[in-house]
Amino acid sequence: MNELIKKLTEAYGPSGFEDGMRDLIRPEIEPYVDEISVDAMGNLIAVKKGDGSGLKVMLAAHMDEIGVMVSHVTKEGFLRFTNIGGVYPHTLMGGRVQFANGTIGVVHSDRLTDRGKIHPLNKFFIDVGATSREDCPVGVGDAAGFVRPFIAQGSRLTAKSMDDRIGCVVAIEAMKKLASTPHDVYCVFSVQEEVGTRGAMVSANGISPDVGIALDVTGVGDVPEARPMDVSLGKGAAIKVKDAGMIAHVGLVKVMKQRAEEANIPYQLEVLEGGSTDARSIQISNAGSAAGCISIPCRYVHSPSETVDARDVEASINLLVEILSKPIAL
Amino acid sequence: MNTYKTLKTLTETPGPSGFEQDIAAVITEMWTPYVDSIATDRIGSLIAIKHGSGPEPRPRLLLAAHMDEIALMVKQVETHNDQGFLRITNVGGIDIRHLYGQLVTVHGKRDLSGIVGSLPGKMLPPERKDKPFGWEDLCVDVGLPADEVEKLVSIGDFISFRQPLRKLQGKRVTGKALDNRASVAAVTACLHYLQNRTHAWDVIVVATSQEETRLLGAYTSAYAQRPDAAIAIDVTFGKGPGTSDANTFELGSGPVLDLGPNVHPGMLKALQDTAKSLEMKVNIGTHSRYSGTDAFALQVAREGIPTGLIGIPLRYMHTPVESIDTADVERSGRLMGEFIANLDDKFLDKLAEGMMKED
Repeated sequence: MNELIKKLTEAYGPSGFEDGMRDLIRPEIEPYVDEISVDAMGNLIAVKKGDGSGLKVMLAAHMDEIGVMVSHVTKEGFLRFTNIGGVYPHTLMGGRVQFANGTIGVVHSDRLTDRGKIHPLNKFFIDVGATSREDCPVGVGDAAGFVRPFIAQGSRLTAKSMDDRIGCVVAIEAMKKLASTPHDVYCVFSVQEEVGTRGAMVSANGISPDVGIALDVTGVGDVPEARPMDVSLGKGAAIKVKDAGMIAHVGLVKVMKQRAEEANIPYQLEVLEGGSTDARSIQISNAGSAAGCISIPCRYVHSPSETVDARDVEASINLLVEILSKPIAL
Repeated sequence: MNTYKTLKTLTETPGPSGFEQDIAAVITEMWTPYVDSIATDRIGSLIAIKHGSGPEPRPRLLLAAHMDEIALMVKQVETHNDQGFLRITNVGGIDIRHLYGQLVTVHGKRDLSGIVGSLPGKMLPPERKDKPFGWEDLCVDVGLPADEVEKLVSIGDFISFRQPLRKLQGKRVTGKALDNRASVAAVTACLHYLQNRTHAWDVIVVATSQEETRLLGAYTSAYAQRPDAAIAIDVTFGKGPGTSDANTFELGSGPVLDLGPNVHPGMLKALQDTAKSLEMKVNIGTHSRYSGTDAFALQVAREGIPTGLIGIPLRYMHTPVESIDTADVERSGRLMGEFIANLDDKFLDKLAEGMMKED
């Protein structure tokens, strides 16, 4: 599985520029589903048919990652840029980014007069080795993502864009393992989550699911001076109860807990005070869906070294398979 | 209908956003005698339909009053000297200033009564004195040792405020969740009013869920029902010491009819005409962008729904001492009832004509 995680996390795909990700994921999921399609926004929708006795269940794992977009090229060939999604200046300094055409850039900022204080994003720039606008291989509107290799140390896995390539891995592995299901499962690899859960919004409107389950990362409270939160790395899949964007369906939360307990899958209950997921969009689509989320606990979210625990990934896959294998009584 | 009793039942029943089954059951019992069908939908909104007497297919009006209330949620369970304490977070727009000293119910494996505690003033370090509390300074105490708390309470359990409805002087009452059970009571009064009136249109009465967090029930029920017109009813700001003159309304001064982008001007005009025919005094409120009510969501469902907005003046919003005048509840109910009784097969044409007319 680490091979797949490496492949997906190291790939390029800022919000709005997910084509390459879609091409990577498609062959991974295609053998395990009955139908596969791509909608107008670029969501990849893989469908596994049920036996007709179950519900319409939509899964959502987003393919896109946070990134930056060039807003101006100086005459000396430096790139000023804006953010795509929640990019924080302190995660950029000294880092590297990669553009769709393979160009690598290093990120730095205007001179710091006070090293204790970091500049805002508009005082950062990217250096791709160009010396003028003319010889710069990228231009205004080009988007870049972080560059950082995947590493595995013990059970800890670190990479850029674990958010939410690890959710994509959970979806793929679960579909592989899912022998049969009563439900029509719409496994959506969504676009543009990081800029407002926009891909899931349109796919949910198209699918009109009864149940929506996002597969995404969540924060943790187990690092020094963390915001208090009762989720830790290595303690199991997190079942979302609430985040800043939605309250999960209480009946669905109950079903998730029950399946985890029956199958002895380690789980934690998640109350996240900042951030949200695709489930938020699925919940409010059309006449409304019972929405919830299986979250993979993740340290340093939206940094180039997002870190998860392989045991939690395993638990999340197993929990999803358990939920999809059995009837869902809301 | 006894307004005080109705309000007492409604406000004292817990119904945090996302956890509305108890309040939905109470409202179901209240509305069942008046309607032809009633059921909760997938996300917890309660949808009741009362058929009109006009020829089929009948136009349909949707009345939306949200039934959820702001609340708290367990974030962490903490042990201190073998006693269990709960760290909390908000469900909806909580004003942290009023939390210390509140009575609450923790909806764990069973309902547990508790309080929101913190350090008393005398124990606070000088730099913290007279400062508002942060979430980290507050905890819920249910009076149990840690091992008992662990057994009964989970992360993510809802916590509702526990405050009885009390009479103030005259027709004023005070309690928690009058936002928006006052409007649920007004809708109940409307259904009561319609018992003695015929109406041509079908009426879809919705007690919406999760308004306080994201207007969820209004978006989804309007999509599912696809009504021809809609009215949202919610509380609005009452006048009192410190309030500005703009968009605040005296308690007991009558329903507030809103004008602004979330509202169809024809719906406002029709509500005003109804008030005039009843010789009922009403106020005009305005919003410049987002009314902060279900009207915002109803208006954009499907291909767009002409929407009106009625407000009930309320003081001390989002606290357990929300205060209203019951006369405003009764008047709002009568106003909606009479409005519905007057809906005819020309109404939608008149709305459309009104939009096209140049003054």
